Amino acid sequence: MIDKAHRYLIRGLEVVLITLMVIIVIVVCWQVFSRFILEFPSSYTDELSRFLLIWITMLGASYASGRNSHLAIDILQGKLKGKSRGKLQILIQLFILIFSISVLVVGGSYLVWITFSLRQISAALGLPMGWVYISIPVSGILVSFFSLNSIRGLISKPSKPH
Amino acid sequence: MEQVEILVLVLSFLILLTLGVPVAFSLGLSGLFTLIIAMDTLTALTTLAQRIGTAVDSFTLLAIPFFILAGQLMNQGGIARRLIDFAKALVGSFPGGLAFVNILACMLFGAIAGSAVASASAIGGSMVERMENEGYPRPFSAAVNITASTTGLIIPPSNILIVYALASGGLSIGALFLAGYVPGIIMGASLMVVAGWLSKKYEIGHGEKFNFKTLWVTFWGAMPSLTLLIIVIGGIVIGFFTATEASAVAVFYTLVLILIYKEINFKRLVKAILETVNTTAIVLFLVGTSMALSWVMSYEYIPQNFTQFMLGISDHPIIILLLINAILLFIGIFMDMTPAVLIFTPIFLPVVVELGMDPVHFGIVMVTNLCIGLCTPPVGTVLFVGCGIAGIKIEQVLKPLLPFFIALLISLLAITFVPELSLWLPRLFGF
Repeated sequence: MIDKAHRYLIRGLEVVLITLMVIIVIVVCWQVFSRFILEFPSSYTDELSRFLLIWITMLGASYASGRNSHLAIDILQGKLKGKSRGKLQILIQLFILIFSISVLVVGGSYLVWITFSLRQISAALGLPMGWVYISIPVSGILVSFFSLNSIRGLISKPSKPH
Repeated sequence: MEQVEILVLVLSFLILLTLGVPVAFSLGLSGLFTLIIAMDTLTALTTLAQRIGTAVDSFTLLAIPFFILAGQLMNQGGIARRLIDFAKALVGSFPGGLAFVNILACMLFGAIAGSAVASASAIGGSMVERMENEGYPRPFSAAVNITASTTGLIIPPSNILIVYALASGGLSIGALFLAGYVPGIIMGASLMVVAGWLSKKYEIGHGEKFNFKTLWVTFWGAMPSLTLLIIVIGGIVIGFFTATEASAVAVFYTLVLILIYKEINFKRLVKAILETVNTTAIVLFLVGTSMALSWVMSYEYIPQNFTQFMLGISDHPIIILLLINAILLFIGIFMDMTPAVLIFTPIFLPVVVELGMDPVHFGIVMVTNLCIGLCTPPVGTVLFVGCGIAGIKIEQVLKPLLPFFIALLISLLAITFVPELSLWLPRLFGF
């Protein structure tokens, strides 16, 4: 059941991320085109592409978490076997969990709350900045879910490599 | 009190890294642990979240996913093969011809694809077989391939130099790109010298006869890919477009190119985009947490203290530069390039600027150092990929790697102590 949710989330993230990436390519190509061919530089593409990049980074970071593809030094994991290896992997996931809950979810949510209550608005698009920063807690929730699910998997089948 | 915080920062980072916590999270967590001591918890958490968000909020950084995407698209098609054919026609007639071909193809492909891992797998994948057929031992071919792959990170366009431009507080990307050419070529040439000497000594790989017609034909085959370099670098250097706009043009150009070559289908295109997003997010999340930690370090006055400490050891530029090179080589051994550049640039740059070094020159020195670290164990992504592609164990490649390492170290010393090697070309173009 939870593993199924994990798989659906990954698939969903893939669709969203590919879409965002295609949009960002089109937006920046349009910027180049409008500047050199049409000779009126569009004012909003710069801002739009930066905001899309933040969303791609934050969602992509959770996607990389779900796929376990973040860069890490795995020498110690390679040296350990069986139960102790499983324990180490649980410890690693716990550290990821601490960071994602505290900084991304709590810190990120507070940041979003501040920017919304200060009515901070972007210069060109007039978009409330809260909608940009909300990607941080969203990513935090996803990372926490993936990491909790890994821990659950490791506890039920400790020897199986992730 | 301050000493305690610095101790917490360094120790927690090293422990987390050794345990195998992903680098991006280790960076963020050590920043978190330090900041909790220094200020109230909610402020610390919010500040870190904000630093991560604002670090990625940059139009310049946008060049990175685009260059990655262009590289991914190149990887799909016959672009690597065409570059190898061209390199073979050009340098295949030297003794140790195929080793030369491998090095030159890595330099060309690495420049275009902008990733050492991509050139290790794309060029290595087809070169190791060919070299074995002509009597080159596999570990030797792998050693050539691994060391040559890193040259593409210095020869522009180069994502890591964009990251350095950001970390140094807005150096000209055009100047950095131009500064990379001569050092990159020196590294490639030093590897060729070693490859030629070893091939002669062990009497392997007598080069093929030079044929001008083949060179002409393969040149036209490689021409479209090489044109991309001219458009991108030329455009940035003249100031026609920014690095980000150039990278978007590179994506567009590559898409057109592979459509003409008819070497991609929808499924592979989707896969290329997905890999791009994955790599982009890993790199940019690293940028986010590195910048957050870097902010914590400047909050703790670490750069200032480090400058005083270093200048207290010696005020002789040569000694300080040798020391910094040694530290950077050591960092490169166990740390990935992007966080290393983002974290150590603010610490080292003030020291060398104090000594009168040009920041552009230092960027090239720093990246060269970290490139060498990419092919050393225990954390050498290029080393792992290169060995994987050649189907050999890491222990087997270490001995043949040694002479190539020495060549790279000698190049590094030349690049460090002869600033003109880096600065001549940018000055010529008026930077």
